[in-house]
Amino acid sequence: MKRLDAIVSDAARTLARRTSRRGFLGQLGAALLGGTALPLLPVARAGAAPRDPAPGEPSRGTELGDPQRCGYWRYCAMDGFLAACCGGTHRSCPPGTEMSPVTWLGTCRNPEDGREYVMSYNDCCGKDTCGNCICMRHEGDQPVYVPSRSNDIDWCMGRAGVVYNSTVAVVVGVATEEG
Amino acid sequence: MRRGAAGIGLAFALTLSAPAGARDPSVDYMLECRGCHLPDGSGATGVPDLRDGIGRFVTVDGGRAYLVQVPGSSQAALDDAALAAVLNWMIRAFGPAEVAASFRPFDANEVSRFRAEPLVEVEAVRRDLVGRLSSD
Repeated sequence: MKRLDAIVSDAARTLARRTSRRGFLGQLGAALLGGTALPLLPVARAGAAPRDPAPGEPSRGTELGDPQRCGYWRYCAMDGFLAACCGGTHRSCPPGTEMSPVTWLGTCRNPEDGREYVMSYNDCCGKDTCGNCICMRHEGDQPVYVPSRSNDIDWCMGRAGVVYNSTVAVVVGVATEEG
Repeated sequence: MRRGAAGIGLAFALTLSAPAGARDPSVDYMLECRGCHLPDGSGATGVPDLRDGIGRFVTVDGGRAYLVQVPGSSQAALDDAALAAVLNWMIRAFGPAEVAASFRPFDANEVSRFRAEPLVEVEAVRRDLVGRLSSD
């Protein structure tokens, strides 16, 4: 029994001599801080970075033009105010507005890569009309009795108390041919 | 050389299966359907949800005709072959899986026949079909 006592006591003393409470706290602190800092490292950020270009979007370097001008290739069938001139971008609505989920679609040719892209012209719906950069291009536009092909329809209708503010032009795919 | 010959054979098979210039049905869905039915088929106010529902219609009498004759289909700017292809694509994409795996696909002739008969009482026909679906 005495021998066991001695062994345990020796072990405890050795441990106490070699380590300190402060040392343990320091290591714990480092682990906690390190753990929170790890996602800030570039390696972790790469995975979480915003997808740009988004799926189906033209790759970088195949884009020409200014999204704040009506002549920009994505606006080939635009009818409305450009969200990019209203505090948003060509594919995101201005703050304080909500993107209408129901929309109309068409295709536009990107002059840089010559491909036809499927464009979704979603209206941004808010409390007021924007009024900047009116853009009326109407390529492929049909009269309102062909509702799925008319760009005159205000797709903010039916949303709770919202007014047409502006329009985005989002690439949703490439108009590929079968085979 | 042999690889080259196989490549030519494959290219020939592809040309046979797709008429020149036909768009991929998923693109036709984008251009003719998803504006209202939304990318995932979930629909909006007054626009039916396609998910897990569209395929059930082909399992009841009159359901195949309804899918072709409903205004969104019959009035779409698609010819009969393209409409058949996009309906087949939608049933496979939105399910339910057990129907998508086993249903007999639409073809241009069947679509053409159904399209020639206009559907006037859309909501009544739909209610009747849905009633028979749920009583199964």
